[in-house]
Amino acid sequence: MKEKIAEVVESSTRAIVAEVYPEAEAPAFGSWVHVPSADGSALYGLVSHIEIGSVEPSRRAVAYGKTPDELRKEMPHVLELLRTTFRAQILAYKDPKSGKIRQTLPPHPAGIHSFVYPCDDDLVRSLGEPYDFLRTLARNPDPAVPVDDLLVAVLRQIQAANGGAELGNEALVAAGRVLARLLNEDHERLQSILRRAA
Amino acid sequence: MLDLSRLREQFTDFSSYQSRHQVLSAAKLKRAIEALQSCEKSWQDYQGTLTLGKPRRLVAGFRESPAHRAPCGVRPTPVTVAATDGSQIYPDRNIEPTFYLLNISRIAFQYGTFERPIMESVPQLRYSTKDLEDHFDEIVESATRDVVSAIRDEFELSELLSVARAVRIDGRPIVAMVDGTLIRWMVRGLRNPALEQRLIARYARLLEQFREEAIPLCSYVSFPGGTEVVNLLRVVLGEGDPDTESDPETSLEGLVDRKIFEKVLGPRERSAVFESASHIQREYESADRICFFYVNVPLPAGGCEVGRVEIPNWVAQDPQTLDLVHSVVMSECEKGNGYPMILSEAHEKAVVRNQEKDLFYHLVEKEMHTAGVPFSASRKSLSKRRPSV
Repeated sequence: MKEKIAEVVESSTRAIVAEVYPEAEAPAFGSWVHVPSADGSALYGLVSHIEIGSVEPSRRAVAYGKTPDELRKEMPHVLELLRTTFRAQILAYKDPKSGKIRQTLPPHPAGIHSFVYPCDDDLVRSLGEPYDFLRTLARNPDPAVPVDDLLVAVLRQIQAANGGAELGNEALVAAGRVLARLLNEDHERLQSILRRAA
Repeated sequence: MLDLSRLREQFTDFSSYQSRHQVLSAAKLKRAIEALQSCEKSWQDYQGTLTLGKPRRLVAGFRESPAHRAPCGVRPTPVTVAATDGSQIYPDRNIEPTFYLLNISRIAFQYGTFERPIMESVPQLRYSTKDLEDHFDEIVESATRDVVSAIRDEFELSELLSVARAVRIDGRPIVAMVDGTLIRWMVRGLRNPALEQRLIARYARLLEQFREEAIPLCSYVSFPGGTEVVNLLRVVLGEGDPDTESDPETSLEGLVDRKIFEKVLGPRERSAVFESASHIQREYESADRICFFYVNVPLPAGGCEVGRVEIPNWVAQDPQTLDLVHSVVMSECEKGNGYPMILSEAHEKAVVRNQEKDLFYHLVEKEMHTAGVPFSASRKSLSKRRPSV
C-alpha cells in the first residue's frame, strides 16, 4: 500500500474533507482515495474538489512577486502556512466481514483524523464493473462540483488503471456504456463527456 | 454603547488644540536638529559634562558623535534569525481555582536556504507556587497583570535562547530578536521587592548567557516614545535642572527622539549607538547593559518610519556584529512592509484567539470535574460571557 497522503478533517456518509500533509502530493481531481479502518473496513472516495489556501482563516495569500524558491528562502512561513485540502465523494466501501467491495454509500462515515491513501491501479480496477457508482455520481451529484468534468476524469482513470491508451479501451468502453444508459435522455451531454475522456 | 454624537464637539476641541501645538513642535524640532548637528565637532566635551553633572532626567550615554549616521550593509546569506513573542490568559479573579496561561511562540528561519523553518508555540499553565515560591499569593492579589507580564517577558527571552541554541549552525551568522524593549524598567514597579530582585537576577543571567554563547540579541521598538537623546540635547542646549520650570518657548520638552531621527537619517541608515541610562541597568553586567540606535525604515508607500533597535553592550562594541544586526533588522522590515516580518510571525503564532480561550477554559473546567475539584466562576463572569436581552 502507498504512503498516507492526507488526514480526514470533516466527515459524513457522503463525503470526506481531508488535509494533505506538507510532504505529500495531493491526489488528482477525479482520482480514487481510500480510508481504511482498524476493523478491516474501508471507504472509497472520488476526489471531487481540491483547494489550496491559508491555514489560518483570517490570513489570506497576497502577491509577493517572488518565485516559490525565493519564497522558501526568504519568507519560509508563507509556504508553511498554506495547505491543500480536498473533498472526496464516498461512493463505495469494503465490508469487513466478507471483504467485498460494495458500490454504495457506507453504513458509517470515516472517523475524523483517519488517514487517507491514494488507490493504486489494483484497487481502481476492483472498483470496476458494473460501475454502479456512476449512477450515484450522475444522479446525485455534489452540488458544488461540475459533475461532467468529474465523470471525464473518472473515465480517464478507469482507462489508465486498466493498461492505458490501448489496453484500457475495453474498460473505458464498458464504463461508457453504463454512462450512456444513465444519460440516455441527454445525448449531447454524453457525447461531450466521451469526447473529453477519449 | 458609545454615543458618538456627544463626542463630536470634543473631537473639534482636540484638533484645534493639536494644530496650535504643531507650530510650537516644529520650532522645537528645528532647535533639536541644530543642537544634534552641533555635536558633530564637540561631542567629547559633552561626555565630560554629563558625568560631572549627573542629571536626573534619563540622558543617553554615547561613545561616538550623536550626529553620526551609518549606512546599512548587505545582509549576509545564509543567515539564521530566531524570534519569540508571548501572549497570556491572565488569572481571572472571578474564577476559582486560580491559574493563568502563558503562550510563547518560537520562530526560526534559515534565510537563503531551503531548510524548513521552525514555527511553534509553547503554552505553560501556571497554578502552583513552584516557580516563584511564596510569591504566588501576592501575584494573585496585587498587581496581577504586571507580574504575569513580567514573567511572560522572561519566558519569551528564555525560549529565545533555547530556540537560538537549537537552530544555530556552525559558521552561519545568527541573530535573535524580540519585540519591545530589552530594558526591563517595568520590573521596578511591581511593589514587591523580593519578587523584583528574583526577576531581575534571572533576567541578568539570561542576558549573560546570550553573551557567553555569542548569540547576538536585539529588540525592535516600533513607534518609540523614548526621549533619552532629546534629554541629551537639552543638556547640550544648556537647559537647566529637571526641577526648575522649563521655558515652553525654548525648551525641548515634549519632543521625542524619533521625530529628530525622522528628519536626520537617510533611508535605511542607523543613528549613532547610545547607552540607555535607565537605572535598572546597574543590575546587569557592564557588557550586557542595553544600548540602542534608531533606524530609518522606508515604507512601501513612500516616507519612512523610525524604529528603535536595542542591543546589549557587547553587540554594540563589535562593529561586525552591529552591522549584522542592522542589516538583519532592515531586511526584516523590508520583507515585512515596514515592521520586522519575523516578529509579525512570532506575534501571530503567540496569539490566543477568543475561540481558543473559550476552549481552554472549557477543558480546564472538564479536567477539574474529572478530578473532583470544585470549579466555579462568579455570576459576574458568566453574565459577561452570555449577555441576554
